[in-house]
Amino acid sequence: MSDNEQSGPEPSVRSQKLTVAQIEVELEQYPAPVAERFRMASGTLSGRLAEETLQEWAATGLEIARKTVRSWEAASEFFDASPGVQRQLPSGQFLRWGRTGASLCSESPSLAVAFFKASPAAMLRLRPRYIDDWATVTRSLYRGTWKSSALAARLFESTPQLLETLSFDEFCSFGGFLEVLSRRSYDSAADSLTQGVALFPRLGSDSDHFIALARAVSESSWREIKDLFDSGSDSLVNLPSPQRVALLSLARRLNAMGASDPGALIRAGSKAVSGVPSESRERLLELTDRLASVHAAAAPEFLKSAPGVLERVTFAQLTEWHARGAQISQDNPEAAVAYFKLESASASETLDALSSSIELSRVRDILRMYCQALTGRPIEVSAAQQLADKNIGWFQGELPTTEGTTVYLPSVINRYLTKDENFFFYKVVSTHQVGHIEFGSFEFTFARPSGLFDDLRPDLPGAKKLAAAIESDAQLQQQMELGQSREAREALKHLKDAGAAEAASPEVPAEREFLTDMSRFFSLFPDNKLALDVFTVVESTRVDSLVMQSYRGIVEMYRRVQSTALENRPELDELPARESLVEFLIRWSLGQREGLVAPKEHVETARKVRRLLDRMTSPEATVEDAAEATVRIYSILANVRNEDVDEDEFESVDPDEPSEEGEDQSGGNEEVNRDDVIQQFLEGAQAQSGDEEQSDEGPDSEDGEDSAPAEENYSSPQDIDYRGEFKPELSQLLSQLQLGQGGEMGDEIEGMEPISQEQLEELMKNAPEMDQQEGEDGKEAPNTDELIENLMKELQKRDPQNQQFQQGPMQHVDEDGGPLEASEPNTYVYDEWDFRAGEYKPRWCLVHEKEMADGEPNFFRDTLADNSSLLARIRKQFELVVPEMYRKQKRLEDGEEQDLDAVLEAVIDMKIGITPDEKVYWRRNKTERSVSVAFLLDMSASTAEAIDEAKKPSDDWGAPDDPVEYMVWLRSRRAEGLRRSYKRIIDVEKEGIVLLVNALETLGDSYGIYGFSGYGRENVEYYVIKDLEEKFSDKVPRRIDRIAPLHATRMGPAIRHTTHKLSEVDAKSRFLFLISDGRPQDRGYSREGVEKEYAVHDTRQALIEARNAGITPFCLTVDKSGHDYLKTMMEDFSYEVLPDISQLPMRLPQLYRALTM
Amino acid sequence: MTTRHDYREIPVEEYVVDKEPFYISSSDEIEVFEAAYRQRVPVLLKGPTGTGKTRFVEYMAWRLGQSLKVQADGSSSDEGENRRSAGHLPLVTVACHEDLTASDLVGRYLLDSNGTRWIDGPLTRAVKAGGICYLDEVVEARKDTTVIIHPLTDHRRTLTIDKLGEVIEAADGFLLVVSYNPGYQNAMKDLKHSTRQRFVALEFDFPDEEREARIIAHESGVDEKNAELLARLGSKIRNLREHGLEEGASTRVLIYAGRLIKEGISPRRACQVGVTWGITDDSQIQRSIDEVVSSIFP
Ligand SMILES: Nc1ncnc2c1ncn2[C@@H]1O[C@H](COP(=O)(O)OP(=O)(O)O)[C@@H](O)[C@H]1O
Ligand SMILES: [Mg+2]
Repeated sequence: MSDNEQSGPEPSVRSQKLTVAQIEVELEQYPAPVAERFRMASGTLSGRLAEETLQEWAATGLEIARKTVRSWEAASEFFDASPGVQRQLPSGQFLRWGRTGASLCSESPSLAVAFFKASPAAMLRLRPRYIDDWATVTRSLYRGTWKSSALAARLFESTPQLLETLSFDEFCSFGGFLEVLSRRSYDSAADSLTQGVALFPRLGSDSDHFIALARAVSESSWREIKDLFDSGSDSLVNLPSPQRVALLSLARRLNAMGASDPGALIRAGSKAVSGVPSESRERLLELTDRLASVHAAAAPEFLKSAPGVLERVTFAQLTEWHARGAQISQDNPEAAVAYFKLESASASETLDALSSSIELSRVRDILRMYCQALTGRPIEVSAAQQLADKNIGWFQGELPTTEGTTVYLPSVINRYLTKDENFFFYKVVSTHQVGHIEFGSFEFTFARPSGLFDDLRPDLPGAKKLAAAIESDAQLQQQMELGQSREAREALKHLKDAGAAEAASPEVPAEREFLTDMSRFFSLFPDNKLALDVFTVVESTRVDSLVMQSYRGIVEMYRRVQSTALENRPELDELPARESLVEFLIRWSLGQREGLVAPKEHVETARKVRRLLDRMTSPEATVEDAAEATVRIYSILANVRNEDVDEDEFESVDPDEPSEEGEDQSGGNEEVNRDDVIQQFLEGAQAQSGDEEQSDEGPDSEDGEDSAPAEENYSSPQDIDYRGEFKPELSQLLSQLQLGQGGEMGDEIEGMEPISQEQLEELMKNAPEMDQQEGEDGKEAPNTDELIENLMKELQKRDPQNQQFQQGPMQHVDEDGGPLEASEPNTYVYDEWDFRAGEYKPRWCLVHEKEMADGEPNFFRDTLADNSSLLARIRKQFELVVPEMYRKQKRLEDGEEQDLDAVLEAVIDMKIGITPDEKVYWRRNKTERSVSVAFLLDMSASTAEAIDEAKKPSDDWGAPDDPVEYMVWLRSRRAEGLRRSYKRIIDVEKEGIVLLVNALETLGDSYGIYGFSGYGRENVEYYVIKDLEEKFSDKVPRRIDRIAPLHATRMGPAIRHTTHKLSEVDAKSRFLFLISDGRPQDRGYSREGVEKEYAVHDTRQALIEARNAGITPFCLTVDKSGHDYLKTMMEDFSYEVLPDISQLPMRLPQLYRALTM
Repeated sequence: MTTRHDYREIPVEEYVVDKEPFYISSSDEIEVFEAAYRQRVPVLLKGPTGTGKTRFVEYMAWRLGQSLKVQADGSSSDEGENRRSAGHLPLVTVACHEDLTASDLVGRYLLDSNGTRWIDGPLTRAVKAGGICYLDEVVEARKDTTVIIHPLTDHRRTLTIDKLGEVIEAADGFLLVVSYNPGYQNAMKDLKHSTRQRFVALEFDFPDEEREARIIAHESGVDEKNAELLARLGSKIRNLREHGLEEGASTRVLIYAGRLIKEGISPRRACQVGVTWGITDDSQIQRSIDEVVSSIFP
């Protein structure tokens, strides 16, 4: 393009071929600066350019000067700029530059002036091949007017500055934007240029997005450009880069859809985005984006309202509020705008509901401590969904429940309009659930007598059969156990169900086949589903009543929750007879007194069962009483045919009818006759079995005599929200393992044989709480195999010693072999204590000391970053110690001042003729803190366990769609350890160490960090993460990263080796801080391979050795079941068992402080 | 205007407990203490603060004094002149702290107009008067005190006073009783084994709910129902001892809450200011305890 234009004047100049000297003369005719600058430039250039090139350059200058009257100025600038430009360009390009300028000059000398002036600086950032384009783009702003030439000149001038931030492409699009805008308004374009120059350096690489938006806006609504630039510099620049880009492209999309006022959008967006925590920012823009695609006008309103909304609700709730609005906008766009402007009623209602809702995560800790206070047990609190996800027998993620050690609650409560009420609901639910634990629902013992009733349990037909069976032919039993054939079991089941009185039958399951006392109890009932339903009401009534007696303060709210529950119950007169009686009991238990009805025929029955239920409100009622009441109520209800009853066949049951009778005779004199019950029980059983046959095989002639209307299949009552999913059998199974240790059941369990797959299958098949699900609509019956597998895993995890479930071969007994030698470097041998023999096994263990390999520093850094507030707290605590160390030191020979007391004493001594003590001074002195501590970390395989199993998220959760983001995400996950995003015990141990290290550095104590594991006595691995005398360096964080679960836990030699290390340092006080997750165990770390005490005693002995060496040992364990062996192992030593592992990072520094200060 | 004293001035060694202190025993500690006293075996009381150790010593001083009185009445009848001989057992209590030195226990010279005067410390006085010397929280005291204590705890029963160059044999009725709270878990301040093994140890823990309710009712004058609820609160809070709380609520704070309730403060509020805020600064734990309070108290 430029070549064409140059082709005109050029030949004429060249044809004359003036010499440089001649040109100089020619130039003299122009105002003086021209020739002056020419001389200066040619002076510089003559040494650098070939003669011919120099001549051509000079000729270009002359040509420029000759162009028009005013072009001498351009020539003068040309000469002035030349030396600078020439330094950047090869000769050909250099000449071409001049010609480009010359052709600009033909259009407008002032353009050429600006071009030349800007060139030296611009060339620093402009590739030579872009020179022409630069000129072209800029010149395109020029349209012959004064304003346009001023604008173009300004762009030339600003180019060097612009190119500091913009790439040349971006420069061109900015130029293009100015060109479009200048067609509307030169002033506006000029302003934009000024603003752009100031703005782009602040936007950096995001400028191109901004320019793109500006360009779009200049085409649609150019008057808004100025405001857009303003918003850029007052708001957008405050955002982090990724969100800037997202916001800009959002604005562009909205602009394309016709939304106006981009500046306002940028401002609102910036404000909203900076108001949310960084992890939610992207999400906020995503939400807006999604809204934009539904209804463009709503999106900016959403952004504008977001900060205000977030003052009231959490981000997660904002998402819900958004979702609701998005839904509205699909049907009614106008309403959506009002919604997001917070002008519609539905918007504020939604918001009110959300802002008063309570998320479990926020109150979990409070509730946990509350439950722990009530029970005195290390109760956990979790979301109910987590239990459902485990798939071990609980299915409803929304209903509260407990399995005896953890209280599971719904993850959000928004039933009421205020936060307080919603919290109270959580509290009521927790109190009820934890009441099952506090008041012993799962401690049911079949053989423990009831206090309120005569015991019927042992006399029931099933129980008799059982007793007989246990006594009967042992061989047959064995055969059956071994055989376990399907048919055998089938036959057994049939026998049991049929309830045939063949008490002597040897093939009935033996007592020991029941995993729990609960299972044994339920096995007595032919219709154990009904039994479970009755037991559930009875036991819940007992717990409710005890809760209300013990916790008077909660009664009011409790009753409120109960009456809400009542509102959702089915109508009594719409249910078939038996179901309506069960429902009657439920309503009664929920406090309903008026308006209760029962089928005419069964009004007496209703009264009877109600009286029985009322017995549960006695403060003395136990779970065994509940069981007895269940037997009685069951025997009555089983004989009620579950037939449809016409609505007007129902009659009201008077609330305060002869209940006195029941109260008066609460002792042994029962209103239900014992033999009657047993008789009824049998009849009920027969009726039941008859019923089953009927439904299984169709009408049978045997059953012909009973020609009453058809019975409905009995279905269990609807759940009650606060009582939730009650599973006594499973809960007893799970909690007896976890709590059994050391308790009265402890011995029983120690001696118990491993739970077998078959037993679990048996339980699953027979437990009434397991088939509850099957009948329910839509949901397919749970896969039993999977369930059993999950349950087995869960049980293994809970079994404190993993003893009952040991799979694979028994541990190999390692008693042979003799003393070991430490022949290799960095190996050490230690004796081991045999407590039975009462002597050391000499040179028994070989410790291999290794320096831990270097890992990544991330773990350390991230832990510090993630715990910044905790860290600050710990630091503060530790810093408080420092002034404490500045104590007055008295009785010195010299010091700040005399101590009055000491002087008096001295004077007195002198008076009475004793030589006085000369030490009468005191000084505020830094009392020498001389502490050395070694941390010894258990790196055994068990520390790989997740601290909260249920927190393991499914693998690909949260993976971003965008490929680039996905890579980033993937990398970060890799760094975290492939495929693991849940926390393990070891991670928590590590976090604790990281926080402590940080604090210890404030204190200046000498400390070492060691990890140990190993396999067998000849392989005790001992890792140095930081040696005692070693200075903290960036190696330490790297080594901490590599702490990982390895093998077994032979504590004794690890402690001995640490003692050895501590003995070598010089400190006034020395500590050994052992952090472990359970009892010591290792291959051969036992006597005859069985006696676990061996390891405990050797560890104890090692601790005693440490103490004898002047070291104070302390043991911190996260083993929930640790109490029993720790008592032996740590007797006389200090230790602590952390009931909640996640507390470790917080607790460790506290303990350290308490221990050493 | 008459100057009337609202207080009594009694030399330490003449302080006797003459009204029966209210004390509810939890097991056989009274019997054991009596036996130990008869054999003059020093006694160590172990347990968290507020479990009634001090009260127990007061009670025992009174009780043993009563039996002395019976003996004394047999031989001589003039009571009041010498309280000790009249059948009372003096009780000297020293609360130990970290600046407590041996001479604070034994005694020191003081300057006076005539030059100097020796003043016996509380321990010396108890040794001479033949009473019970109760060193509360001994571990807090300086290490040099143990040197003095040791000879008093074995067969020698002597107190050495360096400054005077004297050795005093303890009067017959003298017995050393110390208390110690193992809950502080401070390894640097643990009781030395050599010291510990010179005492018979009685372990104190918080009373069960029923006993504690009686104590609270008696000490604070609050009605029985509220006393029961306060006792329940106490045991619930103590449940948290291993789950985040370093020390549970002592009987003492429950009594304070009881007193406030008696003055008409609402129970929930009384527990908040008297119990919750006293035992922890952690706002999370405070909230949990408040929830327990509001469940227990209507
Ligand atoms: N067994 C008890 N009998 C009577 N009062 C008791 C008992 N235990 C505690 N108290 C009450 O608790 C308060 C604190 O007990 P105190 O003896 O001072 O505890 P300690 O000396 O163990 O710190 C006493 O003033 C008393 O009111
Ligand atoms: Mg382990």
